[in-house]
Amino acid sequence: MTSPSQLAQAAERPVRAVRPRSGRRSPRHRRHGLIALLFLFPLLLFYGTYYIYSFVFLARVSRQQVSLSFVDAVDVGWQNFRLVATDTLFQHAVINNLIFAAVSIAAALTIGFVAAMMLATGVRLHRTLYVILLLPSLIPLSLFATIFGKMLGTQYGAFNGLLRGVGLSGLQQDWLGQSNTAYAAVAVLLIYLIGLPIMYYRSDIESVNLSLVEAAVLDGAGTWRVFRSLLFPLLRNTHKTVVLSVLLGSFRAFDVIFFSTNGAPSGQTSITGTYIYNKTLAGTTVGYASAAALLLLLIAFVISAVQLVLMRRESR
Amino acid sequence: MKTMKRRGRDMAGDTAPLAMLRSRSRDRFLMQAFLVAMGAWWLFPLYTALRGSIQAGGLSNYTDLLTKPVAGVWLPRTFVNSLVIAALHAGIVISVSAAAGFAFSRLRFTGREALYNMVLICLAVPATAIIVPVYYITGTLGLFDSPLAVAFPEAALTLPFGVLLLRNFADGLPESWFEAAEIDRAGTFRVFWHIYLPQVRTPMINLGILCVMWSMQDFVFPSLVIRQPSGTTASQAVETIQGAFAGSTPLQTSEYYAALVLLAVPAVVLVTVGLRWISRGLTAGGTKE
Repeated sequence: MTSPSQLAQAAERPVRAVRPRSGRRSPRHRRHGLIALLFLFPLLLFYGTYYIYSFVFLARVSRQQVSLSFVDAVDVGWQNFRLVATDTLFQHAVINNLIFAAVSIAAALTIGFVAAMMLATGVRLHRTLYVILLLPSLIPLSLFATIFGKMLGTQYGAFNGLLRGVGLSGLQQDWLGQSNTAYAAVAVLLIYLIGLPIMYYRSDIESVNLSLVEAAVLDGAGTWRVFRSLLFPLLRNTHKTVVLSVLLGSFRAFDVIFFSTNGAPSGQTSITGTYIYNKTLAGTTVGYASAAALLLLLIAFVISAVQLVLMRRESR
Repeated sequence: MKTMKRRGRDMAGDTAPLAMLRSRSRDRFLMQAFLVAMGAWWLFPLYTALRGSIQAGGLSNYTDLLTKPVAGVWLPRTFVNSLVIAALHAGIVISVSAAAGFAFSRLRFTGREALYNMVLICLAVPATAIIVPVYYITGTLGLFDSPLAVAFPEAALTLPFGVLLLRNFADGLPESWFEAAEIDRAGTFRVFWHIYLPQVRTPMINLGILCVMWSMQDFVFPSLVIRQPSGTTASQAVETIQGAFAGSTPLQTSEYYAALVLLAVPAVVLVTVGLRWISRGLTAGGTKE
């Protein structure tokens, strides 16, 4: 599930500050409590099952050695947590999450921003080009990542084919064979997926006041200057949306890596998502995967909390 | 609500100062060149997939895939499966969020903000973090291979956002309508049904479209709880059918590419149609100055 768009919208509308509670408690207010419970009941049912029960379940399983059949569990205490926390591959996965988020953010704030502004000038074919740039983000990630993974193939892959075609055979690589080229490949893949930030920029530029830009253009300011010194600061709210949504999305991202490199070479490019998924399906390491999942949840909650605090401060 | 009034289809309508940059022929040329080059690079993967799909066997790869099942998976069937899940997911999220959004925005009760914060703190919970319990819960509920087994956890992950969206929108509605209803002594349910629901139609539609988009993308939950080939979703099929083409003869490679291209079609169609709606409403009701 891609979450980028989630935050986009979330950040558009800051969370409302706590309303002053009315001092007097009339019977009417007390009645709301029961009715509110009725309206909230379906939500609480989902939360109770898929969050609260899930977390309790994870806490229990994380101290066991067990498979997905959940029978014959062996109690191993805190061992799983110790193993996860000291597993360099897990630390690597968390760091990769952050590196990949940084790459996506950098790409969105530069290439994505510039492309969106250029599209907004209404150059020829701008609508077609817009859809083309969004295309990789719109089809299922599993699909795009698979196609991309195949393009990395040593012998029949499109990238090596392209290099041969333009006479640069010497640059051909076993892309997933070494960690630096594998990282480069993931970076290219992430750049392909900046469609949503482009969408936010393209959509938001229509709702900012462009009168300053008009004056600057009439005064003969250079196009690049207009982009950098006027439009970029004007869209600062959108930058925030983009940064938060990409950061959040990067910990939710799973398909991107799973279907392109799946961690190759030897776990170097894996992220928390692929790490947990592979451990879950690996047999008796479900407890171990649960411990990793709890640590991941901790990170997710911190990100959520930071985001909530930021949004609240903004609305004050 | 400013942007809601702007329903024009021409997106460049409001960016006239930017359009002025087009009149500089050198800059126009550079921008056009940059975008076309970028577009070409973006189409490159699609091009390799299309070319690969007809390299061996030609177009009959496509007709074969549409008429014969692969590894027990009939591709058109996966589209139906994906759509059913997407519809369930959207339906659940829209109705549950609408009710909860009403409670958080319009009803006063003890612990409202604390509860609301607890709802929002789950915004960033990743699907992979809860796959172990979801697998267990699905088994306990006896839901394996049911579309609901996918739609439920998907909905759980989307609900924090849905509630946030609906509550924020409802908080921005004019107080006077609700006061008028109170004076008329309208009951809570009538206020919900006749005043609140018609007003939150826009975020409800947006939410529904986003749910469909996310469902089409989701691989984790289908792969976890759908085991029958007949229940495979489109994004899951990418992996399920991989084995059938594992021989890596040129023909099998081409057929696999053809399958990938076919699997992308419904998502592209659905999403480009939805995109027209969503980019229009993305900032609707926003608090931008």
